[in-house]
Amino acid sequence: MLEVRDLEAGYGDAQALFGISLSVNAGELVTLVGANGAGKTTTLRAIAGICRPAHGSLLFEGKPLNAVPAHHRAALGIALVPEGRELWPQLTVLENLELGAFERGARSRRTQSLEKVFELFPVLKERAKQLAGSMSGGEQQMVAIGRALMSRPRLLMMDEPSLGLAPVMVTHMFAIIRRLHAEGLTILLVEQNLSRALEIADRGYVIETGKVSLTGTAEELLTNPAVRTAYLGI
Amino acid sequence: MREVFTLAVSAVLLAGFYAAMAYGLGLIYGVLRIVNLAHGGIIMAAAYLTWQLFERFGVDPYIAIPVALVVFFALGAGIYLGLVRFLPRGPAGAVQSLLLLFGVWLIIRNVAYLLFTGNEQAIHTSYATRSVTVFGSSFSVTRILVFAIAVVALLLLHLLLTRTYLGKAIRAVAQNPDSCTLAGIDVERVRIFTFGLGTALAGLAGVLASTLFAFNPSFGAAELLKSFVIIVLGGLGSIVGIALGACVLAFAEVFSIYVVPPYLTSAVGFVLLVVVLVLRPGGLFGQRVLR
Ligand SMILES: Nc1ncnc2c1ncn2[C@@H]1O[C@H](COP(=O)(O)OP(=O)(O)O)[C@@H](O)[C@H]1O
Ligand SMILES: [Mg+2]
Repeated sequence: MLEVRDLEAGYGDAQALFGISLSVNAGELVTLVGANGAGKTTTLRAIAGICRPAHGSLLFEGKPLNAVPAHHRAALGIALVPEGRELWPQLTVLENLELGAFERGARSRRTQSLEKVFELFPVLKERAKQLAGSMSGGEQQMVAIGRALMSRPRLLMMDEPSLGLAPVMVTHMFAIIRRLHAEGLTILLVEQNLSRALEIADRGYVIETGKVSLTGTAEELLTNPAVRTAYLGI
Repeated sequence: MREVFTLAVSAVLLAGFYAAMAYGLGLIYGVLRIVNLAHGGIIMAAAYLTWQLFERFGVDPYIAIPVALVVFFALGAGIYLGLVRFLPRGPAGAVQSLLLLFGVWLIIRNVAYLLFTGNEQAIHTSYATRSVTVFGSSFSVTRILVFAIAVVALLLLHLLLTRTYLGKAIRAVAQNPDSCTLAGIDVERVRIFTFGLGTALAGLAGVLASTLFAFNPSFGAAELLKSFVIIVLGGLGSIVGIALGACVLAFAEVFSIYVVPPYLTSAVGFVLLVVVLVLRPGGLFGQRVLR
Protein backbone atom coordinates (compact mmCIF):
# COMPACT_ATOMS: atom_id res chain seq x y z
CA MET A 1 0.00 0.00 0.00
CA LEU A 2 2.81 2.40 0.94
CA GLU A 3 6.30 2.20 -0.45
CA VAL A 4 9.08 4.56 0.62
CA ARG A 5 12.37 4.42 -1.30
CA ASP A 6 15.66 6.11 -0.39
CA LEU A 7 13.91 8.95 1.37
CA GLU A 8 16.14 11.90 2.27
CA ALA A 9 14.79 14.96 4.05
CA GLY A 10 15.82 17.56 6.58
CA TYR A 11 15.34 21.00 8.04
CA GLY A 12 17.26 23.70 6.21
CA ASP A 13 20.89 22.64 6.12
CA ALA A 14 20.44 19.90 8.70
CA GLN A 15 19.70 16.61 6.99
CA ALA A 16 17.64 14.27 9.15
CA LEU A 17 16.91 11.30 6.87
CA PHE A 18 19.70 9.57 4.94
CA GLY A 19 17.89 7.17 2.65
CA ILE A 20 14.97 5.52 4.44
CA SER A 21 13.25 2.66 2.64
CA LEU A 22 10.23 0.93 4.02
CA SER A 23 6.90 -0.52 2.97
CA VAL A 24 3.51 -1.10 4.50
CA ASN A 25 1.11 -3.66 3.04
CA ALA A 26 -2.65 -3.34 3.16
CA GLY A 27 -4.03 -4.45 6.51
CA GLU A 28 -0.67 -4.47 8.26
CA LEU A 29 0.33 -2.79 11.48
CA VAL A 30 3.91 -1.69 11.01
CA THR A 31 5.90 0.05 13.71
CA LEU A 32 8.83 2.43 13.44
CA VAL A 33 11.03 2.44 16.50
CA GLY A 34 14.27 4.14 17.41
CA ALA A 35 15.89 6.62 19.74
CA ASN A 36 14.93 10.28 20.08
CA GLY A 37 16.06 12.26 17.05
CA ALA A 38 16.45 9.18 14.85
CA GLY A 39 14.12 10.61 12.21
CA LYS A 40 10.80 8.85 12.84
CA THR A 41 8.71 12.02 12.96
CA THR A 42 10.41 13.42 9.87
CA THR A 43 9.62 10.20 7.98
CA LEU A 44 5.90 10.44 8.82
CA ARG A 45 5.82 14.16 8.00
CA ALA A 46 7.38 13.47 4.61
CA ILE A 47 4.78 10.80 3.86
CA ALA A 48 2.00 13.20 4.92
CA GLY A 49 3.57 15.91 2.77
CA ILE A 50 4.20 18.63 5.34
CA CYS A 51 7.94 18.08 5.04
CA ARG A 52 9.38 18.13 1.54
CA PRO A 53 11.75 15.28 0.71
CA ALA A 54 15.08 16.24 -0.87
CA HIS A 55 15.43 12.88 -2.53
CA GLY A 56 13.67 9.54 -2.84
CA SER A 57 10.25 8.41 -3.91
CA LEU A 58 6.95 7.78 -2.20
CA LEU A 59 4.34 5.44 -3.66
CA PHE A 60 0.84 5.10 -2.29
CA GLU A 61 -1.25 2.31 -3.77
CA GLY A 62 1.13 2.23 -6.71
CA LYS A 63 0.83 5.95 -7.48
CA PRO A 64 3.69 8.38 -6.94
CA LEU A 65 3.04 10.81 -4.09
CA ASN A 66 5.91 13.25 -4.49
CA ALA A 67 4.01 15.65 -6.75
CA VAL A 68 0.76 15.46 -4.75
CA PRO A 69 0.33 18.58 -2.56
CA ALA A 70 0.09 17.82 1.15
CA HIS A 71 -3.53 18.97 1.43
CA HIS A 72 -4.61 16.52 -1.27
CA ARG A 73 -3.15 13.53 0.52
CA ALA A 74 -6.00 13.30 3.02
CA ALA A 75 -8.36 12.68 0.12
CA LEU A 76 -6.16 9.79 -1.01
CA GLY A 77 -6.65 8.15 2.36
CA ILE A 78 -3.51 9.16 4.23
CA ALA A 79 -3.92 10.48 7.77
CA LEU A 80 -1.39 11.44 10.41
CA VAL A 81 -1.94 11.75 14.14
CA PRO A 82 0.96 14.12 14.77
CA GLU A 83 3.42 14.00 17.60
CA GLY A 84 2.22 16.24 20.42
CA ARG A 85 -1.37 16.00 19.08
CA GLU A 86 -1.43 19.47 17.45
CA LEU A 87 -5.11 20.11 18.02
CA TRP A 88 -6.83 23.43 17.46
CA PRO A 89 -6.96 24.28 21.15
CA GLN A 90 -9.50 27.12 20.94
CA LEU A 91 -11.98 25.10 18.91
CA THR A 92 -14.38 22.70 20.57
CA VAL A 93 -13.88 18.95 20.48
CA LEU A 94 -16.73 18.69 18.01
CA GLU A 95 -15.22 21.37 15.74
CA ASN A 96 -11.87 19.59 15.83
CA LEU A 97 -13.58 16.39 14.73
CA GLU A 98 -15.70 18.10 12.08
CA LEU A 99 -12.67 19.72 10.51
CA GLY A 100 -11.01 16.32 10.37
CA ALA A 101 -13.66 15.54 7.77
CA PHE A 102 -13.03 18.71 5.77
CA GLU A 103 -12.26 16.98 2.52
CA ARG A 104 -15.32 16.48 0.31
CA GLY A 105 -15.58 12.69 0.37
CA ALA A 106 -15.09 12.54 4.12
CA ARG A 107 -17.53 15.40 4.67
CA SER A 108 -20.39 13.58 3.00
CA ARG A 109 -19.95 10.71 5.43
CA ARG A 110 -19.21 12.70 8.54
CA THR A 111 -22.29 11.65 10.49
CA GLN A 112 -21.31 7.98 10.34
CA SER A 113 -17.68 8.80 11.04
CA LEU A 114 -18.65 10.86 14.06
CA GLU A 115 -20.79 8.03 15.40
CA LYS A 116 -17.86 5.66 15.01
CA VAL A 117 -15.47 8.04 16.81
CA PHE A 118 -17.95 8.54 19.68
CA GLU A 119 -18.37 4.79 19.93
CA LEU A 120 -14.59 4.39 20.16
CA PHE A 121 -14.20 7.27 22.62
CA PRO A 122 -17.51 7.81 24.48
CA VAL A 123 -15.96 10.55 26.63
CA LEU A 124 -15.61 12.76 23.54
CA LYS A 125 -19.36 12.75 23.08
CA GLU A 126 -19.83 14.05 26.62
CA ARG A 127 -17.16 16.67 26.09
CA ALA A 128 -18.14 17.62 22.53
CA LYS A 129 -18.78 21.28 23.41
CA GLN A 130 -15.63 21.71 25.48
CA LEU A 131 -12.58 23.52 24.09
CA ALA A 132 -10.02 20.95 22.98
CA GLY A 133 -7.22 22.81 24.75
CA SER A 134 -8.93 22.41 28.11
CA MET A 135 -8.96 18.59 28.01
CA SER A 136 -6.52 16.24 29.71
CA GLY A 137 -3.58 14.81 27.74
CA GLY A 138 -5.28 11.46 27.22
CA GLU A 139 -8.52 13.06 26.05
CA GLN A 140 -6.59 15.30 23.68
CA GLN A 141 -4.93 12.23 22.21
CA MET A 142 -8.39 10.75 21.69
CA VAL A 143 -9.44 13.90 19.84
CA ALA A 144 -6.30 13.70 17.70
CA ILE A 145 -6.99 10.09 16.77
CA GLY A 146 -10.68 10.83 16.29
CA ARG A 147 -9.88 13.75 14.02
CA ALA A 148 -7.65 11.54 11.87
CA LEU A 149 -10.35 8.86 11.68
CA MET A 150 -12.90 11.46 10.55
CA SER A 151 -11.02 11.72 7.26
CA ARG A 152 -11.80 8.06 6.57
CA PRO A 153 -8.16 7.06 6.16
CA ARG A 154 -6.91 3.90 4.55
CA LEU A 155 -3.45 4.41 6.02
CA LEU A 156 -3.40 5.75 9.57
CA MET A 157 -0.03 7.02 10.77
CA MET A 158 0.40 7.69 14.48
CA ASP A 159 3.37 9.49 15.98
CA GLU A 160 3.98 8.47 19.60
CA PRO A 161 0.33 8.32 20.66
CA SER A 162 1.30 7.17 24.15
CA LEU A 163 3.75 10.01 24.80
CA GLY A 164 3.19 11.74 28.13
CA LEU A 165 0.10 9.73 29.06
CA ALA A 166 -0.70 8.10 32.38
CA PRO A 167 -0.07 4.31 32.41
CA VAL A 168 -3.80 3.48 32.37
CA MET A 169 -4.23 5.74 29.36
CA VAL A 170 -1.25 4.15 27.60
CA THR A 171 -2.87 0.73 27.97
CA HIS A 172 -6.13 2.16 26.68
CA MET A 173 -4.40 3.68 23.63
CA PHE A 174 -2.72 0.42 22.71
CA ALA A 175 -6.04 -1.37 23.04
CA ILE A 176 -7.61 1.16 20.68
CA ILE A 177 -4.79 0.74 18.15
CA ARG A 178 -5.10 -3.02 18.33
CA ARG A 179 -8.83 -2.75 17.77
CA LEU A 180 -8.49 -0.43 14.76
CA HIS A 181 -5.97 -2.87 13.29
CA ALA A 182 -8.27 -5.83 13.95
CA GLU A 183 -11.04 -3.99 12.09
CA GLY A 184 -8.79 -3.94 9.04
CA LEU A 185 -7.20 -0.51 9.14
CA THR A 186 -3.62 -0.26 7.86
CA ILE A 187 -1.45 1.42 10.49
CA LEU A 188 2.04 2.86 10.60
CA LEU A 189 2.90 3.42 14.24
CA VAL A 190 5.85 5.33 15.65
CA GLU A 191 6.60 4.46 19.26
CA GLN A 192 9.24 4.91 21.93
CA ASN A 193 7.55 2.20 23.91
CA LEU A 194 9.19 -0.50 21.83
CA SER A 195 8.08 -3.60 23.67
CA ARG A 196 4.41 -2.63 23.65
CA ALA A 197 4.57 -1.54 20.02
CA LEU A 198 6.14 -4.82 18.92
CA GLU A 199 3.58 -6.69 20.98
CA ILE A 200 0.74 -5.50 18.72
CA ALA A 201 2.65 -4.99 15.44
CA ASP A 202 3.08 -7.36 12.50
CA ARG A 203 6.43 -5.95 11.42
CA GLY A 204 8.85 -3.28 12.51
CA TYR A 205 11.70 -1.07 11.39
CA VAL A 206 14.44 0.16 13.68
CA ILE A 207 15.62 3.64 12.66
CA GLU A 208 19.03 4.98 13.66
CA THR A 209 20.26 8.46 12.65
CA GLY A 210 18.08 8.68 9.59
CA LYS A 211 18.58 5.13 8.29
CA VAL A 212 16.86 1.79 8.71
CA SER A 213 19.27 -0.28 10.77
CA LEU A 214 17.14 -3.37 11.21
CA THR A 215 13.85 -4.76 10.01
CA GLY A 216 11.84 -7.89 10.49
CA THR A 217 8.68 -9.34 11.92
CA ALA A 218 7.72 -8.15 15.37
CA GLU A 219 8.76 -11.49 16.81
CA GLU A 220 12.18 -11.40 15.15
CA LEU A 221 12.84 -7.93 16.50
CA LEU A 222 11.64 -8.79 19.99
CA THR A 223 14.03 -11.71 20.17
CA ASN A 224 16.93 -9.96 18.42
CA PRO A 225 19.82 -9.68 20.91
CA ALA A 226 20.95 -6.27 19.59
CA VAL A 227 17.45 -4.83 19.99
CA ARG A 228 17.11 -6.37 23.43
CA THR A 229 20.28 -4.74 24.74
CA ALA A 230 19.92 -1.39 22.96
CA TYR A 231 16.19 -0.71 23.41
CA LEU A 232 14.80 -3.06 25.99
CA GLY A 233 17.70 -2.90 28.43
CA ILE A 234 17.78 -6.66 28.82
CA MET B 1 -28.29 63.69 33.15
CA ARG B 2 -29.78 64.32 29.72
CA GLU B 3 -26.29 65.10 28.48
CA VAL B 4 -24.82 61.90 29.90
CA PHE B 5 -27.57 59.91 28.19
CA THR B 6 -26.91 61.66 24.88
CA LEU B 7 -23.18 61.03 25.15
CA ALA B 8 -23.63 57.39 26.14
CA VAL B 9 -25.87 56.69 23.15
CA SER B 10 -23.45 58.53 20.87
CA ALA B 11 -20.63 56.39 22.24
CA VAL B 12 -22.52 53.16 21.58
CA LEU B 13 -23.33 54.28 18.03
CA LEU B 14 -19.67 55.15 17.47
CA ALA B 15 -18.54 51.84 18.99
CA GLY B 16 -20.53 49.92 16.38
CA PHE B 17 -18.65 51.66 13.61
CA TYR B 18 -15.34 51.18 15.41
CA ALA B 19 -15.91 47.44 15.87
CA ALA B 20 -16.65 46.95 12.17
CA MET B 21 -13.60 49.05 11.34
CA ALA B 22 -11.27 47.04 13.59
CA TYR B 23 -12.47 43.58 12.68
CA GLY B 24 -10.71 43.40 9.32
CA LEU B 25 -7.40 44.28 10.90
CA GLY B 26 -7.95 41.74 13.67
CA LEU B 27 -8.96 38.97 11.30
CA ILE B 28 -5.88 39.38 9.13
CA TYR B 29 -3.62 39.60 12.15
CA GLY B 30 -5.25 36.59 13.78
CA VAL B 31 -4.79 34.32 10.80
CA LEU B 32 -1.63 35.64 9.13
CA ARG B 33 0.15 37.32 12.07
CA ILE B 34 0.54 40.38 9.87
CA VAL B 35 -0.47 43.93 10.81
CA ASN B 36 -2.11 45.24 7.67
CA LEU B 37 -0.71 48.77 7.58
CA ALA B 38 -2.63 49.37 4.35
CA HIS B 39 -5.88 49.11 6.39
CA GLY B 40 -6.26 52.90 6.63
CA GLY B 41 -5.52 53.33 2.94
CA ILE B 42 -8.26 50.85 2.08
CA ILE B 43 -10.72 52.73 4.29
CA MET B 44 -9.84 55.96 2.47
CA ALA B 45 -10.06 54.33 -0.97
CA ALA B 46 -13.49 52.93 -0.15
CA ALA B 47 -14.63 56.38 0.95
CA TYR B 48 -13.57 57.76 -2.44
CA LEU B 49 -15.22 54.88 -4.30
CA THR B 50 -18.46 55.61 -2.46
CA TRP B 51 -18.15 59.32 -3.18
CA GLN B 52 -17.55 58.68 -6.89
CA LEU B 53 -20.50 56.31 -7.14
CA PHE B 54 -22.64 58.93 -5.40
CA GLU B 55 -21.47 61.94 -7.40
CA ARG B 56 -21.31 60.33 -10.83
CA PHE B 57 -24.09 57.80 -10.77
CA GLY B 58 -26.22 58.97 -7.87
CA VAL B 59 -25.78 55.68 -6.04
CA ASP B 60 -26.78 55.93 -2.40
CA PRO B 61 -23.74 55.22 -0.16
CA TYR B 62 -25.45 52.34 1.58
CA ILE B 63 -26.44 50.77 -1.73
CA ALA B 64 -22.74 50.98 -2.66
CA ILE B 65 -21.81 48.55 0.11
CA PRO B 66 -22.07 45.34 -1.97
CA VAL B 67 -19.98 46.95 -4.71
CA ALA B 68 -17.32 48.00 -2.20
CA LEU B 69 -17.27 44.54 -0.62
CA VAL B 70 -16.65 42.87 -3.97
CA VAL B 71 -14.07 45.43 -5.15
CA PHE B 72 -12.08 45.39 -1.94
CA PHE B 73 -12.29 41.64 -1.48
CA ALA B 74 -10.72 41.31 -4.92
CA LEU B 75 -8.15 43.99 -4.14
CA GLY B 76 -7.20 42.26 -0.86
CA ALA B 77 -6.92 38.85 -2.50
CA GLY B 78 -4.81 40.50 -5.19
CA ILE B 79 -2.50 42.16 -2.65
CA TYR B 80 -2.05 38.79 -0.96
CA LEU B 81 -1.38 36.90 -4.18
CA GLY B 82 0.85 39.56 -5.70
CA LEU B 83 2.83 40.63 -2.63
CA VAL B 84 2.12 39.27 0.83
CA ARG B 85 2.49 35.62 -0.06
CA PHE B 86 6.16 36.11 -0.94
CA LEU B 87 7.04 37.29 2.57
CA PRO B 88 9.00 34.93 4.79
CA ARG B 89 6.71 33.14 7.23
CA GLY B 90 6.82 33.72 10.94
CA PRO B 91 8.72 36.36 12.91
CA ALA B 92 11.30 36.69 10.12
CA GLY B 93 8.68 38.31 7.91
CA ALA B 94 7.25 40.70 10.51
CA VAL B 95 9.34 43.76 9.64
CA GLN B 96 9.14 43.10 5.92
CA SER B 97 5.36 42.84 6.12
CA LEU B 98 5.14 46.21 7.88
CA LEU B 99 7.33 47.88 5.26
CA LEU B 100 5.54 46.20 2.38
CA LEU B 101 2.04 47.11 3.51
CA PHE B 102 3.11 50.61 4.48
CA GLY B 103 4.34 50.88 0.89
CA VAL B 104 0.96 49.70 -0.37
CA TRP B 105 -0.69 52.39 1.74
CA LEU B 106 1.60 55.10 0.30
CA ILE B 107 0.76 53.96 -3.22
CA ILE B 108 -2.99 53.98 -2.58
CA ARG B 109 -2.71 57.41 -0.98
CA ASN B 110 -0.70 58.96 -3.77
CA VAL B 111 -2.95 57.52 -6.44
CA ALA B 112 -5.82 59.18 -4.59
CA TYR B 113 -3.96 62.52 -4.53
CA LEU B 114 -3.37 62.18 -8.28
CA LEU B 115 -6.96 61.33 -9.10
CA PHE B 116 -8.84 63.48 -6.61
CA THR B 117 -6.36 66.15 -5.38
CA GLY B 118 -5.97 66.86 -1.68
CA ASN B 119 -9.29 68.69 -1.31
CA GLU B 120 -11.65 67.59 1.43
CA GLN B 121 -14.71 65.76 0.15
CA ALA B 122 -17.93 64.80 1.83
CA ILE B 123 -21.10 63.01 0.78
CA HIS B 124 -24.28 65.00 1.22
CA THR B 125 -27.23 62.66 0.99
CA SER B 126 -30.74 64.00 1.18
CA TYR B 127 -31.08 62.55 4.67
CA ALA B 128 -27.62 63.60 5.93
CA THR B 129 -29.01 66.28 8.20
CA ARG B 130 -32.08 64.41 9.38
CA SER B 131 -32.25 63.20 12.96
CA VAL B 132 -34.55 61.35 15.31
CA THR B 133 -35.38 62.31 18.85
CA VAL B 134 -35.22 59.77 21.63
CA PHE B 135 -36.13 60.82 25.19
CA GLY B 136 -35.54 64.41 24.19
CA SER B 137 -32.07 63.82 22.75
CA SER B 138 -31.60 63.91 19.01
CA PHE B 139 -29.39 61.56 17.01
CA SER B 140 -28.55 61.77 13.33
CA VAL B 141 -30.15 59.18 11.07
CA THR B 142 -26.79 58.57 9.42
CA ARG B 143 -25.17 57.55 12.68
CA ILE B 144 -28.01 55.19 13.49
CA LEU B 145 -27.85 53.63 10.02
CA VAL B 146 -24.08 53.17 10.30
CA PHE B 147 -24.51 51.51 13.65
CA ALA B 148 -27.20 49.15 12.36
CA ILE B 149 -25.16 48.16 9.32
CA ALA B 150 -22.05 47.61 11.42
CA VAL B 151 -23.93 45.37 13.84
CA VAL B 152 -25.48 43.34 11.03
CA ALA B 153 -22.06 42.95 9.39
CA LEU B 154 -20.49 41.77 12.63
CA LEU B 155 -23.28 39.27 13.23
CA LEU B 156 -22.95 37.87 9.70
CA LEU B 157 -19.22 37.59 10.19
CA HIS B 158 -19.74 35.80 13.48
CA LEU B 159 -22.07 33.32 11.78
CA LEU B 160 -19.54 32.78 8.99
CA LEU B 161 -16.73 32.08 11.45
CA THR B 162 -18.68 29.82 13.77
CA ARG B 163 -21.22 28.05 11.59
CA THR B 164 -19.57 27.32 8.26
CA TYR B 165 -16.80 24.93 7.30
CA LEU B 166 -14.89 27.81 5.74
CA GLY B 167 -15.17 29.90 8.90
CA LYS B 168 -14.02 27.04 11.10
CA ALA B 169 -11.12 26.48 8.72
CA ILE B 170 -10.16 30.17 9.06
CA ARG B 171 -10.06 29.85 12.85
CA ALA B 172 -8.18 26.56 12.63
CA VAL B 173 -5.53 28.04 10.32
CA ALA B 174 -5.05 30.80 12.90
CA GLN B 175 -4.39 28.17 15.57
CA ASN B 176 -2.41 25.46 13.79
CA PRO B 177 -1.89 25.58 10.02
CA ASP B 178 -0.01 22.28 9.71
CA SER B 179 -2.90 20.39 11.24
CA CYS B 180 -5.15 22.05 8.67
CA THR B 181 -2.98 20.76 5.84
CA LEU B 182 -3.18 17.27 7.32
CA ALA B 183 -6.96 17.54 7.40
CA GLY B 184 -7.00 18.39 3.70
CA ILE B 185 -7.50 22.13 4.03
CA ASP B 186 -5.72 24.23 1.42
CA VAL B 187 -4.15 26.64 3.90
CA GLU B 188 -2.95 29.02 1.20
CA ARG B 189 -6.48 29.41 -0.13
CA VAL B 190 -7.77 30.14 3.34
CA ARG B 191 -5.11 32.83 3.69
CA ILE B 192 -6.08 34.42 0.36
CA PHE B 193 -9.72 34.42 1.42
CA THR B 194 -8.90 35.86 4.83
CA PHE B 195 -6.85 38.69 3.39
CA GLY B 196 -9.66 39.40 0.94
CA LEU B 197 -12.30 39.31 3.69
CA GLY B 198 -10.26 41.53 6.02
CA THR B 199 -9.77 44.03 3.20
CA ALA B 200 -13.47 43.90 2.29
CA LEU B 201 -14.29 44.76 5.91
CA ALA B 202 -11.93 47.74 5.72
CA GLY B 203 -13.81 48.66 2.56
CA LEU B 204 -17.12 48.46 4.43
CA ALA B 205 -15.65 50.69 7.14
CA GLY B 206 -14.64 53.16 4.42
CA VAL B 207 -18.15 53.29 2.97
CA LEU B 208 -19.59 53.90 6.43
CA ALA B 209 -16.91 56.49 7.24
CA SER B 210 -17.67 58.41 4.06
CA THR B 211 -21.17 59.08 5.35
CA LEU B 212 -19.94 60.23 8.75
CA PHE B 213 -16.85 62.31 8.05
CA ALA B 214 -15.23 64.53 5.46
CA PHE B 215 -12.15 62.92 3.96
CA ASN B 216 -9.09 63.55 1.85
CA PRO B 217 -6.38 61.13 0.63
CA SER B 218 -4.65 61.20 4.02
CA PHE B 219 -7.82 59.98 5.69
CA GLY B 220 -7.46 56.59 7.35
CA ALA B 221 -4.34 57.09 9.45
CA ALA B 222 -6.28 57.73 12.63
CA GLU B 223 -8.68 54.90 11.71
CA LEU B 224 -5.78 52.44 11.40
CA LEU B 225 -4.40 53.47 14.76
CA LYS B 226 -7.80 53.28 16.41
CA SER B 227 -8.38 49.82 14.95
CA PHE B 228 -5.05 48.81 16.40
CA VAL B 229 -6.01 50.20 19.81
CA ILE B 230 -9.27 48.24 19.74
CA ILE B 231 -7.53 44.98 18.93
CA VAL B 232 -4.98 45.48 21.68
CA LEU B 233 -7.77 46.34 24.13
CA GLY B 234 -10.17 43.61 23.14
CA GLY B 235 -7.91 40.89 21.81
CA LEU B 236 -8.68 38.69 18.85
CA GLY B 237 -10.59 36.22 20.93
CA SER B 238 -14.03 36.83 19.61
CA ILE B 239 -16.54 39.31 18.34
CA VAL B 240 -17.29 40.06 21.99
CA GLY B 241 -13.70 41.13 22.64
CA ILE B 242 -13.66 43.43 19.63
CA ALA B 243 -17.01 44.91 20.64
CA LEU B 244 -15.77 45.54 24.19
CA GLY B 245 -12.55 47.11 22.89
CA ALA B 246 -14.58 49.33 20.58
CA CYS B 247 -16.87 50.36 23.44
CA VAL B 248 -13.95 51.25 25.71
CA LEU B 249 -12.40 53.42 23.02
CA ALA B 250 -15.68 55.07 21.98
CA PHE B 251 -16.75 55.82 25.55
CA ALA B 252 -13.29 57.14 26.45
CA GLU B 253 -13.31 59.43 23.42
CA VAL B 254 -16.85 60.68 23.81
CA PHE B 255 -16.64 61.30 27.55
CA SER B 256 -13.18 62.83 27.32
CA ILE B 257 -14.89 66.13 26.44
CA TYR B 258 -15.29 66.62 30.18
CA VAL B 259 -11.53 66.60 30.74
CA VAL B 260 -9.74 67.56 27.53
CA PRO B 261 -10.45 70.05 24.74
CA PRO B 262 -12.19 68.54 21.66
CA TYR B 263 -9.14 68.72 19.41
CA LEU B 264 -7.40 66.22 21.72
CA THR B 265 -10.17 63.61 21.42
CA SER B 266 -8.29 61.48 18.93
CA ALA B 267 -5.29 61.36 21.26
CA VAL B 268 -7.43 59.66 23.91
CA GLY B 269 -7.17 56.28 22.23
CA PHE B 270 -3.42 56.40 22.14
CA VAL B 271 -3.12 57.33 25.77
CA LEU B 272 -5.42 54.42 26.49
CA LEU B 273 -3.23 52.14 24.38
CA VAL B 274 -0.06 53.11 26.21
CA VAL B 275 -1.69 52.71 29.61
CA VAL B 276 -3.04 49.27 28.73
CA LEU B 277 0.23 48.09 27.19
CA VAL B 278 2.08 49.12 30.35
CA LEU B 279 -0.43 47.73 32.85
CA ARG B 280 -1.84 44.73 31.01
CA PRO B 281 0.33 43.77 28.03
CA GLY B 282 -2.06 40.92 27.25
CA GLY B 283 -4.88 43.37 26.54
CA LEU B 284 -7.87 44.22 28.72
CA PHE B 285 -9.94 41.25 27.71
CA GLY B 286 -7.13 38.80 26.99
CA GLN B 287 -7.23 36.21 24.10
CA ARG B 288 -4.37 36.53 21.69
CA VAL B 289 -5.80 33.83 19.45
CA LEU B 290 -8.63 34.01 17.00
CA ARG B 291 -11.08 31.46 18.23
N1 LIG C 1 11.81 21.60 13.27
C1 LIG C 1 13.09 21.14 13.21
N2 LIG C 1 14.10 21.97 12.87
C2 LIG C 1 15.37 21.52 12.81
N3 LIG C 1 15.73 20.27 13.05
C3 LIG C 1 14.79 19.38 13.40
C4 LIG C 1 13.41 19.77 13.49
N4 LIG C 1 12.69 18.70 13.86
C5 LIG C 1 13.56 17.70 13.97
N5 LIG C 1 14.82 18.09 13.70
C6 LIG C 1 16.03 17.26 13.71
O1 LIG C 1 15.84 16.22 12.77
C7 LIG C 1 16.31 15.01 13.30
C8 LIG C 1 15.21 13.96 13.28
O2 LIG C 1 14.18 14.39 14.16
P1 LIG C 1 12.80 13.63 14.32
O3 LIG C 1 12.34 13.19 12.99
O4 LIG C 1 11.91 14.52 15.08
O5 LIG C 1 13.21 12.39 15.19
P2 LIG C 1 12.33 11.39 16.06
O6 LIG C 1 10.90 11.63 15.73
O7 LIG C 1 12.80 10.05 15.68
O8 LIG C 1 12.62 11.69 17.49
C9 LIG C 1 16.86 15.29 14.69
O9 LIG C 1 18.26 15.44 14.59
C10 LIG C 1 16.21 16.59 15.04
O10 LIG C 1 17.06 17.34 15.87
MG1 LIG D 1 9.41 12.21 17.00
